[in-house]
Amino acid sequence: MNNSKHFNVTIRVWRQDGPEEPGRMVSYKVTDVSPDMSFLEMLDILNENLLKKNEKPLAFESDCREGICGCCGLVVNGDVHGPDDHSTVCQLHMRRFKDGDVITVEPWRVRSFPVIKDLVVDRTAFERIMAAGGYVSVNAGAAPDANSIPVNKDAAEEAMDSAACIGCGACVAACPNGCAMLFTGAKISQFALLPQGAPERARRALCMLEAMDREGFGNCSNEYECEAVCPKEVKVSNIARFNREFLLANLFGKEPAAASAHLKSTPDVPEDE
Amino acid sequence: MNTGFIKRFIFTSIGRKAVMAITGLMLGAFMLFHLAENLILFKGEVAYNTWVDFLLSNPLIIPLELGLAAIFLTHSFFGAWVRIEDWINAPRGYEARKWQGGRTVGSATMLYTAVLILAYLVYHMLTFRFVDHSIGFYQMVTSAFRGKLFTAIYIGGAVALVIHLTHGLQSAFQTLGVNHPKCTPFIKTGGWIAALLMVGFAMISLYYLLELDLKCAAAVYQVTIQ
Repeated sequence: MNNSKHFNVTIRVWRQDGPEEPGRMVSYKVTDVSPDMSFLEMLDILNENLLKKNEKPLAFESDCREGICGCCGLVVNGDVHGPDDHSTVCQLHMRRFKDGDVITVEPWRVRSFPVIKDLVVDRTAFERIMAAGGYVSVNAGAAPDANSIPVNKDAAEEAMDSAACIGCGACVAACPNGCAMLFTGAKISQFALLPQGAPERARRALCMLEAMDREGFGNCSNEYECEAVCPKEVKVSNIARFNREFLLANLFGKEPAAASAHLKSTPDVPEDE
Repeated sequence: MNTGFIKRFIFTSIGRKAVMAITGLMLGAFMLFHLAENLILFKGEVAYNTWVDFLLSNPLIIPLELGLAAIFLTHSFFGAWVRIEDWINAPRGYEARKWQGGRTVGSATMLYTAVLILAYLVYHMLTFRFVDHSIGFYQMVTSAFRGKLFTAIYIGGAVALVIHLTHGLQSAFQTLGVNHPKCTPFIKTGGWIAALLMVGFAMISLYYLLELDLKCAAAVYQVTIQ
């Protein structure tokens, strides 16, 4: 294919064979890049070229490629999720670059998200935070039951804004301290704002904070870099709500029977029939 | 007696931040009070010395000073703790890194301004608190401000405080869970106003430095025209 709009770029990318292996930056030329390609399609082409040369392809995560699953996550030229505001890296297109550009591609650099291979990081720390309290313990019913509980429209909207979090980890990757307050704050908020989540809010705040700290995430210094990069525009008011939930729970809430022991026991959830 | 909640104020990330926020707000309130009492300097020697005598003859002054020191040390200790913890846990840095607009000069330099303020405070204590006060407090303060180096250090301390507070005040409210479209703009504006009020400290020292220079200039002028 010979298209005058096509161009060539150089990709400087992090290669690391395994969690324990040392990594390094490696440069690859990618030729005949269409401006209509997505950034990840360009990486797909790079991988095809590498396979033709019998080299190991570049490992990176992606699933939906439309910005809703939270799988992808790369730092492109120092921008978390690429240069476009409030979008994921799979929504980035090559038209943002020009011929001859050298593009630096790195994985999330977060202590709690160790690199598994190349650009793939282990984000199960988020799942362990969720397992500590990011749920409603009893079966809250199906849609008809939800509709029978009156919920203030404003609260519903705000809870939905918090629930928009896709758990991609960009907030942590962008934070100068590697802190997971925006993620955890959003998850705390989506329950705290709704009547179904209210009964367990005190225990949830204390347990999820304990889990977050145990995973080794940093300390929040309210720099708000997280809000600036969040593809779903989750606001730092969620962090304030998390702080509030913690303070109220710690000062006035019932002490959880065992904040840690709770994690080890199987939650008593009735099975769906 | 359940002490779990006290432990959480010391050993959890939000707990420590809450302690820093409360002590920080207390220190900010003290700074406003301190500025107000320093402005008495402009009312002259008698008014200032009367105020200082009143302050020092108060039997509560020692407990209050110790309390203030405890608040300051707590704030510094927790600040150092969270920062050092983040340093230890720091991962490999990015090859390229672009800040996305959340960071401000104030937020990015909190640690550095904190160290400057701490260094300044030690100097301030050594020059004003733990010295011979026999010449009178007004004389001691105003004569000190006539030294150029002294005034430069004093202004440096005030500027560090201004930068520290531009981030610190609104950060404290956020940490205590106060963030709402209604009040946050006022808190942010209030933070800037409080921060800029700290320029007042620099103004006091500059006033006494320049007053001397104006007198010198006037004297030189008198000599020249004669």
